[in-house]
Amino acid sequence: MSEQKTDVPYGTLDLLILKTLDTMGPMHGYRIARRIEQVAENLLRLNQGSIYPALVRLEEQGWIRTHWGMSETNRKVKFYSLTRAGTRQLRVAVANWERTAALVARFLEAES
Amino acid sequence: MKPRFAAARLLALIRKRRLDRELEDEILAHLELAEKDAMAAGLSPEEARRQALRSFGGIQQIKEDHRDQRSVRWVENLWRDVRYGMASLARDPGFAAVTIALLALGIGANTAMFSIVDAVLLKPLPFPEPERMVRVWETPTPADRNGTTTLTFLDWKRQSEIFEALSVESPVRAAVETNGSPVRLSGKLVSADYFQVFGVKPQIGRTFAPGEDQPGAAPVVVISYSLWQSRFGGDPGVLNRDLKLDGKPHRIIAVLPPGSFDRDEAVFWKPLIFAPEQLNRIQHMYNPVGRLRPGVSLMQVQAKMNLLRASLAGVLADYKDWGFAVDPYAPSLVGDTLRRSIYLVFGAVVMVLLITSANVANLVLAKGATRQKEMAVRAALGASRGRLIAQLLTESLVSCVLGGVAGVFVAYLLLHAITPLVAASLPFTADLRLDPRVLGFAAVAAMAVLILAGLLPSLKTSLSKLSSSLNQAARGSSGSSAAMRRTIVIGEVAISVVLICGAALLFMSLAKLQQVDAGVRIDHVITMSTDLPPAAYPTPESATRFYDAIVQGLGSVSGVEQAAVTHKLPLQDAGWGEGMTMPGTAEGFNVGVKPVDPWYFGTMQIPLESGRGIEDRDRAGAPPVTVINQELARYLSSKFGIANPVGRIARIALPGYGSIPESLVNVQIVGVIRSEHTSELQEPQRRIAYVPMAQMPQQDINLVVRTQIDPLAVMSGIREAVRQVDPHLPLGEVRTMEQVKEQSMLWAKQPTWVVGAFAGIAALLAALGLYGVLAHAVTQQRREIGIRMALGARPGDVVSHTLRSALSMLAVGLAAGLAGSFALTRALKSLLFQVSALNPAALAAACVLMTLAGILAALIPVSRAAATDPMTVLRDEG
Repeated sequence: MSEQKTDVPYGTLDLLILKTLDTMGPMHGYRIARRIEQVAENLLRLNQGSIYPALVRLEEQGWIRTHWGMSETNRKVKFYSLTRAGTRQLRVAVANWERTAALVARFLEAES
Repeated sequence: MKPRFAAARLLALIRKRRLDRELEDEILAHLELAEKDAMAAGLSPEEARRQALRSFGGIQQIKEDHRDQRSVRWVENLWRDVRYGMASLARDPGFAAVTIALLALGIGANTAMFSIVDAVLLKPLPFPEPERMVRVWETPTPADRNGTTTLTFLDWKRQSEIFEALSVESPVRAAVETNGSPVRLSGKLVSADYFQVFGVKPQIGRTFAPGEDQPGAAPVVVISYSLWQSRFGGDPGVLNRDLKLDGKPHRIIAVLPPGSFDRDEAVFWKPLIFAPEQLNRIQHMYNPVGRLRPGVSLMQVQAKMNLLRASLAGVLADYKDWGFAVDPYAPSLVGDTLRRSIYLVFGAVVMVLLITSANVANLVLAKGATRQKEMAVRAALGASRGRLIAQLLTESLVSCVLGGVAGVFVAYLLLHAITPLVAASLPFTADLRLDPRVLGFAAVAAMAVLILAGLLPSLKTSLSKLSSSLNQAARGSSGSSAAMRRTIVIGEVAISVVLICGAALLFMSLAKLQQVDAGVRIDHVITMSTDLPPAAYPTPESATRFYDAIVQGLGSVSGVEQAAVTHKLPLQDAGWGEGMTMPGTAEGFNVGVKPVDPWYFGTMQIPLESGRGIEDRDRAGAPPVTVINQELARYLSSKFGIANPVGRIARIALPGYGSIPESLVNVQIVGVIRSEHTSELQEPQRRIAYVPMAQMPQQDINLVVRTQIDPLAVMSGIREAVRQVDPHLPLGEVRTMEQVKEQSMLWAKQPTWVVGAFAGIAALLAALGLYGVLAHAVTQQRREIGIRMALGARPGDVVSHTLRSALSMLAVGLAAGLAGSFALTRALKSLLFQVSALNPAALAAACVLMTLAGILAALIPVSRAAATDPMTVLRDEG
C-alpha cells in the first residue's frame, strides 16, 4: 500500500460527525460516512459501519436527532441532524481538540 | 448519569427489538447506496457489492457495538456496581454489619410505627364503602355531641330515604358457664340492621331479620369468629346450637367473619329490644351508627335532619336548643389524644431515622475519606464523575436494600411485640399488619435513607478535587470532608436534643400526673366488676338483697378490712351526667350521679366534711337522700349562695333499674364529702351527687375491698364468698386500685415511654456519631499530634485540643437543638399535664444529658490522643 492511511484517532469520530452535520445539515448515515472520507481525502481508514454506534451514542446524549426520509434508492432511511445541544457540544469539542493539539505540538517542539 | 440519558437507555432496552430491525434497515440502505456509487464509478455489480461490504466493515461487530451503545452498558454497569458494592461490603464486614444494623433498626422502627399510623389514621375502614358510614348525634350546643333517646332514634330510623341502615349499639355483659364455673362475656345490644351498617356478611348463617328487635321475638345471637373457635371449636354445626347467656338459651344464627370484629371487645351481638316503658325522649343514652344511601351526601343528610328537627319541635320542647348532627364514622373511632400520641411517636421515630441516616452518612464519609485515593486513581484512568457517583451510590444502594430487608424483619418482630400492648388503645378496625402499603413505606424509607446517607457523601467524595487527593490521601487531614462530618454530627446532636426535650417534658408531665392525689385509698384495695343478670335479679329489691349479702360475705373473709358496692370505680367515670336544679332557681346544671352503698366512703377512705354519709337506713321507701362532693358544694355556694347545703332539697333526674326509665326525684342533701377523682387524674374535679345504691340499684356494679394484707392473697377467699352468695355470678375484671390508677394513666404512659426510648436511642446514636468523628480525626491527626508533642506540647494540651473540638460540636448542636425545641415542643402542649411546653428544667435536663453523653463519647478518642507516642508516630510516617 503506497498511501499512508491512519485509523480514526480515538474519540474523534464523534467530533467528525458533529462537524459534518454542522456544515452539511441533515443527512443519512451513508452520506455522513462518505463525506468524512471525502474530506479526509482517503487519508483516513474508516469502517463506514462504525459511524452507526457513534450516531446512536450522540443521539442518546441529545446532541443529534433523527427523522425518517427517503434515500436516493427509494428506501426509508434515518436522517440525522444537529440539535442545539449538539451545536454547543461541537464548540466545546472543537475547543478541547484545539487545546490538546496545541499542547501536543508544544511538547513536540520542546522535545526536538 | 443525567436522568434523560438514563431514561433513553432504559427506553432503548425496552424497544430493543424495533431498534435492531431499524439498524438492519439502515445497514441495508447504506450498502445499497454504496453499491450504487461504486457501480457509478464503473465497477461490476459483483465488485461493487464486495467493495461496499469491505468499506462498511464487520457488520456483526457493528451491530454489537450499536447494541452496546444503546442499552446493555447501562445495565451492565449497574450490575457491575452492585457486585462491586457487595464485594466492598464483604471486604469490610464490620462496617457492613454496623451500617446494615443501623439501617435495619431505623427502617424497622419506622415501618412498624407507620403500620400503626396507616391502620389507625390513613387506611379506609375495612368495610365496604366506609365513606357512607356515619354517626348520628344530638347536639346540646353545635360543638357538643350527645347520645339520643329511644323515640328520637326511631324517628331517625324512619328517614329511610337517607339511611340505608341505622342502628344503636349498647354494651352488655352476660354470664356463660365454662367448665362448671361462670365466666363473663362482653357483647353488644344492637338493632336488627346493625350488620348492614358495616356491610358485613356472616361467615356462616344469617344476620338478624327485621322483626327480631321487636318485643316478643325469640332470643337469637350472632357470635364472633374468635368465640366460635374458642368456645365451639369451630363446629360447623354451631347454627343448631344455643349459647346460654345468663342462663337463658339463645339460638346462634350466625358467625361473623374473622377480622375487625375479633378485635372488638364484644364477642356476641343480641338484638336490642325497646320495652314499651323505655320509649321516651328523656334518657339520652344511645349512640346510633348508620349507613347512608348511595349518592346521598353528608350535606343533604344534614339538611334533612335539620328539617326533621324542626318538625319535632313540639315533642322536643324541653331540649329546644338541641340540634341533630351527622358525622363521618371513621374519625369518631380515633380520639384526639390517641391521634396526637400517634403523630408524636411517629415524629419521634422519623427523627430517629434521620439520625440513623446521618450516622450512616458519616460512616460512608469516613470510608470515603480513606477511599479518596482509589477514586482519584479511577478518575485519572478516565472514569467519568457520573460513573464514580453511580458506583458510590450503588454501594449505598446495596446496604440500603439489605438494611431495608432486615428492617422489614425488625418491623415484623416489633409489631409482634407491641400489638398486645397497644391493641386496647387502638380502635377495633385497626389491623396492624405488614401489608403492601406498609412494605411500600419501608421501601420509601430505604430510598430516603439512600438519598440522605448515600447521595450526599458520594457527591462529596467524587466532586472534591480528586487530583489533589491523590497527593493528600497518604498524608491524612482531608479538610472539607471532615467539615461535612462535623456538620452532620451537629445535626444529630440537635435532633437528639429536641427528642430528649420532648421526652423530658412528657416524663415531667407523667410525674405530675402520678403525684395527683386521687382522693381515695390506692394501696391495699382490690376491685372487681360484675353484672347482675336481669333474669336472676328482676327487681330493685332483689338487687338490694344481693348488695347486703355480698358486703356481709366479703366482710367476713379473713384478711379483709371492709367491703363495699359502688356503681363506678374512682378514676373511671362518674357515670351519667344528669340535670340538677335547686328549688327556687330556674337554672339547671349538670352533675355526675354516682350510686354507692353505705360502706363505700369508709372502704375508699373518703372523709366526710359535713353532715352524714350514706347510711343503712337510706333504703327504698325511706326519703331519698344524696351526699354531694366538695366540688358541688363549692358550686352551690358560688352560684346560688348556698353556704351550707346540708338539709337542702335538690331535684335530680335519676335513672331507673334495668328497663325502668329515669324520673325526676326530690332528694335531700344530707352530707358533703371531700372530692375523690371520679374520672381520670388529668381531668378537673367533677360535681358529683352520690345516691344510695339501695334507693337507686344498678345491675352493672363494682365491688371494692380494702384488705389488711396483700390484696391478691385474699382473692381466693373473695371468690369463695361471691360463690356462696350467687354461684352463677361471674366476676369481671379483677384489679387492684393500683392497677386501676395505672390504667387510667395509660394514655400518658405509653407515648411517654416510647418517646423516651427513642430519645435514648437518638442520644446514643448521636454520641456514636460524635465518637466516630473524633476517633477519625485523632487517627488522621496522629502525625500532627506527634509533632506537637515532640515540640513540647503536654498530653494536657492535646486533650484540651481534642475536647475543645468535641465541645464546640456539642455546643453548636445544643444551640440548634434548643431552637428546634422551642419550635417543636409546642406540638406537645395538648399532651402535657401541668407542664409548660417550654419548661426550663426540661430544656436544661436535655442539654445536660446530651452533654454528658457527648463527653462520654469523646473520652476514648481523647485518651487515645493523649497517649500518642511522638516517636512511634514520626517513625511510622517518616
